[in-house]
Amino acid sequence: MIQESWYDESRPEQTRRHFLGALGATAAATFLGGAPRAAAGEKGVKHPAATADSCILLWMAGGMAAPETFDPKRYRPYQVGTPVEEIISTFPAIDTAVDNIKICKGLENIAGVMDRATLIRSHFQEDLGSILHSRHQYHWHTGYVPPQTVAAPHIGAWMAKVLGGRNDVMPPFINIGQRLEGHGESQELKAFTTGGFFGSEYGPMNLPFPALASQAVKPPGGMSPERFKKRYDALKDLLKNSPKSDQLSDFHQESMLRSLDNAHRLLGSKEREAFDLTKEKKEVFDDYNTGQFGQGCLLARRLVEGGARFVEVTTEYVPFYHWDTHENGHTTTERMHKEIDRPIARLIKDLEERGMLDRTLVIIASEFSRDMMIEGVPGSTAKDQSGAKTDVIKEMKHYGLHRHFTGGSSVVMFGGGMKKGHLYGATAVERPCMAIDKPVSIGDLHATIFTAMGISPKTEFSIENRPFYATKDGKGVSVREVFA
Amino acid sequence: MRLTPILFTLLAFASSRAAAVDFAHEVAPILKKHCVECHGGSKSKGGLSINTRALLLEADVVKVGEPKGSLMIELLTAEDPDDRMPPPGKKKAALDPAEITVLERWIADGAKWEDGFTFSEKRYELPLKPRPVKLPQGKPGTNPIDLLVAEHFKKEQIEPPVPIDDRTFLHRLSLDLIGLPPSVETLAELPREGAIDRNAATDRLLADNQAYAEHWMTFWNDLLRNEYVGTGYIEGGRQQVTKWLYRSLVENKKFDVFIRELIAPGEESKGFVKGIQWRGTVNASQTQEIQFSQNVSQVFLGINMKCASCHDSFVDRWTLREAYGLAAIYSEKPLELTRCDKPTGEMAVAAWLFPELGEIDAKKPRDERLKQLATLITHPENGRTQRTIVNRIWNQMMGRGIVHPVDAMSTEPWNEDLLDLLANLFVESNYDLKSVIRLIATSRTYQSRSEVRGEENGPYVFRGPVRKRMTAEQFLDSIRSITGVWPEPEGNALANKGLTGGQLKAVMDAHGLKKWDDRPVRAVFASRDELQAALGRPNREQIVSSRPDILTTLEAISLANGPEMAGLLKAGAEKLKAKTASRDLIGKVYLAALSRKPTDSEIRVAAEILGESPSTEATEDFLWSVFMLPEFQYIN
Repeated sequence: MIQESWYDESRPEQTRRHFLGALGATAAATFLGGAPRAAAGEKGVKHPAATADSCILLWMAGGMAAPETFDPKRYRPYQVGTPVEEIISTFPAIDTAVDNIKICKGLENIAGVMDRATLIRSHFQEDLGSILHSRHQYHWHTGYVPPQTVAAPHIGAWMAKVLGGRNDVMPPFINIGQRLEGHGESQELKAFTTGGFFGSEYGPMNLPFPALASQAVKPPGGMSPERFKKRYDALKDLLKNSPKSDQLSDFHQESMLRSLDNAHRLLGSKEREAFDLTKEKKEVFDDYNTGQFGQGCLLARRLVEGGARFVEVTTEYVPFYHWDTHENGHTTTERMHKEIDRPIARLIKDLEERGMLDRTLVIIASEFSRDMMIEGVPGSTAKDQSGAKTDVIKEMKHYGLHRHFTGGSSVVMFGGGMKKGHLYGATAVERPCMAIDKPVSIGDLHATIFTAMGISPKTEFSIENRPFYATKDGKGVSVREVFA
Repeated sequence: MRLTPILFTLLAFASSRAAAVDFAHEVAPILKKHCVECHGGSKSKGGLSINTRALLLEADVVKVGEPKGSLMIELLTAEDPDDRMPPPGKKKAALDPAEITVLERWIADGAKWEDGFTFSEKRYELPLKPRPVKLPQGKPGTNPIDLLVAEHFKKEQIEPPVPIDDRTFLHRLSLDLIGLPPSVETLAELPREGAIDRNAATDRLLADNQAYAEHWMTFWNDLLRNEYVGTGYIEGGRQQVTKWLYRSLVENKKFDVFIRELIAPGEESKGFVKGIQWRGTVNASQTQEIQFSQNVSQVFLGINMKCASCHDSFVDRWTLREAYGLAAIYSEKPLELTRCDKPTGEMAVAAWLFPELGEIDAKKPRDERLKQLATLITHPENGRTQRTIVNRIWNQMMGRGIVHPVDAMSTEPWNEDLLDLLANLFVESNYDLKSVIRLIATSRTYQSRSEVRGEENGPYVFRGPVRKRMTAEQFLDSIRSITGVWPEPEGNALANKGLTGGQLKAVMDAHGLKKWDDRPVRAVFASRDELQAALGRPNREQIVSSRPDILTTLEAISLANGPEMAGLLKAGAEKLKAKTASRDLIGKVYLAALSRKPTDSEIRVAAEILGESPSTEATEDFLWSVFMLPEFQYIN
């Protein structure tokens, strides 16, 4: 009955007690089905046939120098008095399992598995006028140069959004090894370590410490599994007895309960063992364990075995540490070689042994390369940030690639439908070592990765009435030649 | 857009040859420049309208995949002036060869169109000037919102929502006005149902200036990108306005003054117009001048200038020139228009969007121009500003704007009269934000039961308030007020360190405190930790005008086992269980968290969790269960 003066009525609130089967009634839509309400609608687009089901990104955070890793150039050993301009690499080249591919000394184990890899030597990045690692990392991880007027999703979020999980418990997007609190550029890292406008359902599960990953899927510290289960049962019991249960059919509330249910299903699943490195044989753990990164590689393997879609493992970005060699570059790079060489090779062999390499795309990449003399690219306005400025080597701290170079870098791609033992593109032999043969931009590299994963680079979502594409303006073009 | 299989083949073929044509950025501007004046919008000369792809194809001027066989190309390139389009007699020039090539490629490529895009002008355009509203008849003294909403229900044949009881009202009101649930003391003293004076309760909360400011800081920080920490601030590229903002909210600064102080700012409030200065080069649509253009139009006018700051907008009427005109008001140097990151050679002239209200004198120095802009934005005849803010407040309190989304004020409101009524009363109150809040809170419309909503399908019809999810700040503050365990003030927040920190110093200064006393430290003043981030507090690289309203799985994991949440529960349990017997604890927590008494069956279940004399662990688990109830996390 509709009355003019409904607002004058003071009838007491009716209690309509429609008992919903609280949690039981909510459909078990999960990571597979994604969120109940999409933040943005995907436009019709034809996706390519996938050559990979999972993707592991091995992130060399801080700028991995190509001439010190996968693109050896003119080498000069450490010698006081050597003019800097004579040096391009501080490591000599070594042979690999592929005749026409040489990489740098210190990567002997990876050299042994290069016959499973496509090596792209002609990747390059845009010059952003000034080097700020986190800005370049934002660009590399989202395909968009920050700032953006809407929050750009991480490529892992694109995979989570478009492809969803591979099973109904494992989070599709997992990020290993990066602390997001407590150092100089943490807010900047958080800015791209996100689902962006897709919303947090598609954002990463962050596991900064691989050895502690199991805690992320365990009951909170000190709580037994029994107590954890009992606590959840108690919640369900309270819900069933709530006089407000009629409100649960509201979609906000329904979806909240579904999310809680997803969380508890993961935390009670067998897949959660994938997060626990102590379940691994000691011999295997030790072989991987060169440190956090090595442990991260092992964790990534376990998570992909458990059904993860996209896993990133980083050497960790902390300003001026690890690959971010503003001085003492050679010594630091020697250590970084040790940290990545064994676990990456082992990861490739393990995936192969399990028959998973063919459908798992493993990528080694970095936000840019380094050079001994050039900051950015020739002609860039970027400020020289070397901490060891000199024309002639006088002491060890001068020896290394201390400037950020965006003109040419290396990307290694294993498995996932890529050619084996293939070399693509080249940089100039002499400084400036620009990508001169078949240059691959971030957009084209992303298009290649997305294509392998079965996502069209033109995939488009509408946000604030504007189109937003998987690669910038939908224009990334997959590098066909690298596909087997 | 659904494509036929044939079209797919064509597309696959085309894209293997050359980069596909981009309709939005390449084709639409050509059509707009040369064709739309006569064949778009309300015009259809010669019976041809190209407003949509369907119209274009129906008219048979384009043969998909065959540029050579398409009448459109034939006419555009015709030798004979009698045939040629645009007609040479008009002032329009013929298309240049590059433009023809784009159109040919576009047709070859399938003549793809932007989904939903139209050249039609049938867009709703809100009137600019304030508009008097004629209220329906009703009992004298009735809240005017209710008079209009009653009419709406009648017209739409909707059963009006039932009124909420006193407890539900107080719970909703307190969270909406000061961001905290009502105190247990308030609730314990409630007289019989229906006996409280709801208007007085509203006034009491609004009079708590500090709590009001602490709650609304969240809303304004998001909108003004305040307390942003990130790339831009590293080299001093960002300035916070916390001190000014907090004081403005405590004083309930008149909104016209508030706007003027932001747009033509003094030292303490200049962070907003300054935007974020990024290190290195940025996209032309992200310079500080363009940020100014985008931010001023979004926040105060509900205009999305993001499209138009790169190219003339396809979704509304704003043009690149207008976006740059606004930017030029702020710019201290000559500003060249840049279209899609390519310079155009045209220089921007400082101008604003609604010249019918007055002009900017581009020759005046910047400070003068900013003052003129502030005057125009707060012009009494500028209904746009008034409607934009009252709609935002309605959205905060009612869960959904009268115009929705709140940043697209050119969307048709579900009730024009209601929007205009709020705007007019706001102006009558002399731009008093609290008076709008009060008007809404004291309406029977606000005091109605929330709609039980399904997923959004079809046009929205107002059926009552929409549930709101607590913000991260409301969630944490509520938990802390229930357990009584507040965090210690962070050192950085107490000190004024310029770029970050100083949030609590702002509170101290505003209240004349020498040192922090025992006031609760609200979550809005803490830095954005992982739990706050997980619960939707944004990093504010972009303006945020509404928080996510859905709890996601990853957030649920944080709540189920995150260390921050576990820490809150433990501290809370230790404090609560020490003093209370099981039964009392249940009653107290229900009252504090949900503003109601537990039912007998709830007491039974809770008692099972807690046991005879509750341990810390059992208390933690009970608290967790209550905090995970949707009834707690949503403002019902």
